[in-house]
Amino acid sequence: MSRLDLDLLDRDGALAEASDGVSRAGFLAGAATGTAGLLALAADAGAAPLRRSDAEVLNYALSLEYLQAAFYTEAERSKALSKKAAQAARTVGAVERAHVKAFRALLGRRAIARPRFDFQGVTEDSDDFLKTAVAFEDLAVAAYKGQAANIRSDSVLASAIGIHTVEARHAAWMRYLNGVQPAQSAFDEPQTRKQIDRVVEATGFLSAAPRTSARRSPRYTG
Amino acid sequence: MTRWKAIGGGLLAGAAIGAGAVALAGSGSESPGGAEASRAGADLPAAPRPALAIPKPEGLAREADLTRWAPLRRATAARAMPSRSGRVLARLAVRTPEGTAHPLPVLGRRADERGRLWLRVALPVLPNGTHGWVPRRAVGGYELVRHRLVVDLDELELTLLERGKPVLSAPVGIGEGRWPTPRGRFIVRNRLERYESPQYGPVAFGTSARSATLTDWPAGGFVGIHGTDQPEILPGKVSHGCIRLRNADILRLARLMPVGTPVLVR
Repeated sequence: MSRLDLDLLDRDGALAEASDGVSRAGFLAGAATGTAGLLALAADAGAAPLRRSDAEVLNYALSLEYLQAAFYTEAERSKALSKKAAQAARTVGAVERAHVKAFRALLGRRAIARPRFDFQGVTEDSDDFLKTAVAFEDLAVAAYKGQAANIRSDSVLASAIGIHTVEARHAAWMRYLNGVQPAQSAFDEPQTRKQIDRVVEATGFLSAAPRTSARRSPRYTG
Repeated sequence: MTRWKAIGGGLLAGAAIGAGAVALAGSGSESPGGAEASRAGADLPAAPRPALAIPKPEGLAREADLTRWAPLRRATAARAMPSRSGRVLARLAVRTPEGTAHPLPVLGRRADERGRLWLRVALPVLPNGTHGWVPRRAVGGYELVRHRLVVDLDELELTLLERGKPVLSAPVGIGEGRWPTPRGRFIVRNRLERYESPQYGPVAFGTSARSATLTDWPAGGFVGIHGTDQPEILPGKVSHGCIRLRNADILRLARLMPVGTPVLVR
């Protein structure tokens, strides 16, 4: 299959990787250059003040992107996953980090701070990683869908839909790696913010910063 | 033609639908319903421009100087092997004697026979340099550090590196001959400030290094890195094992060095 054919039908490089062994991350990087440039131009040309309600939705999306980016990045750093799982972590992690970067750039000072996470070892075991990845991707897909109707700006909605479909591809990929049917139902249900928050809280993955300093007289050897 | 090529061809054809539909509508050779559908499509507005500029996905940067530590989440026994039957090397408390989180440098990982994950960590016990295994679930989330502190006992100099590049150097006081500053690899465990002990200067860092001679020192004889009220005697072999800096230097260090920084005393 020629590179041209792949570029047309294989937007995220999965087939390129399968057919000629080109690293998925590398292929993505090359293929994305043009698109990223166009999007940047579009964003600059059509920049409009962000509505407060849209900023709130974007921050909500950013919180999920933080979660995903941290999850895949830690998984990649763990160097403990099987080849396929590690490859997925590397590729999807790069995309989620790009999402975070874009959200933070658009929100500017209004961007929420990066939370801390404790993934409790699920990034260090291939089975646990894949199961959690399926849950996270399905969650993101449902969350984006759940907020679509709340977005007022057409340009923000266009971006959200663009990311939503990418998350859906990730969900299908992770499901495939996990031995789960990628597309089981004819209709995907959206989830409200409350429902999503409940799921995220239940994971216990959000953590507080460890206390590392104190106001106390030292008792070191001196 | 492969299945994928066929789909690719379909996508190409789809891209030309707009122009093709107009041509077909004008030809009069299509059914009325088809022409109507084409006209409806032609009236649709252009897709809005996305608000977000999604950058190119990038792989992780070179991370040779990245180290990890994790705070202890619950009291646990550190064992000689990654197994519940392993010999207990130390019992670790959730808090340091200073009341801060107990950081453990993470050196490795292994699953036991039941698939439970264990972490190999450096222990704050004597002899210095002791490593042991703790259950993964006993520690919290990983913290990352891109700094490294090197204390050269022969040169009486401390150097802080960030991403492998020196960002601060300063002369130091170290332990006298009878209370030597221990050599080895350690971690900065905590940071104390706003206390009323001028002999420690304005800021003090605790390390996981322990004096092998002052074992009965309060709180276990941990070696600190701190300021002083006797700057005139630095550099030199002047302390009970701690690493002393002039106050201006410890303040500079405090601005740059995070807790969790690995320390090499050589």
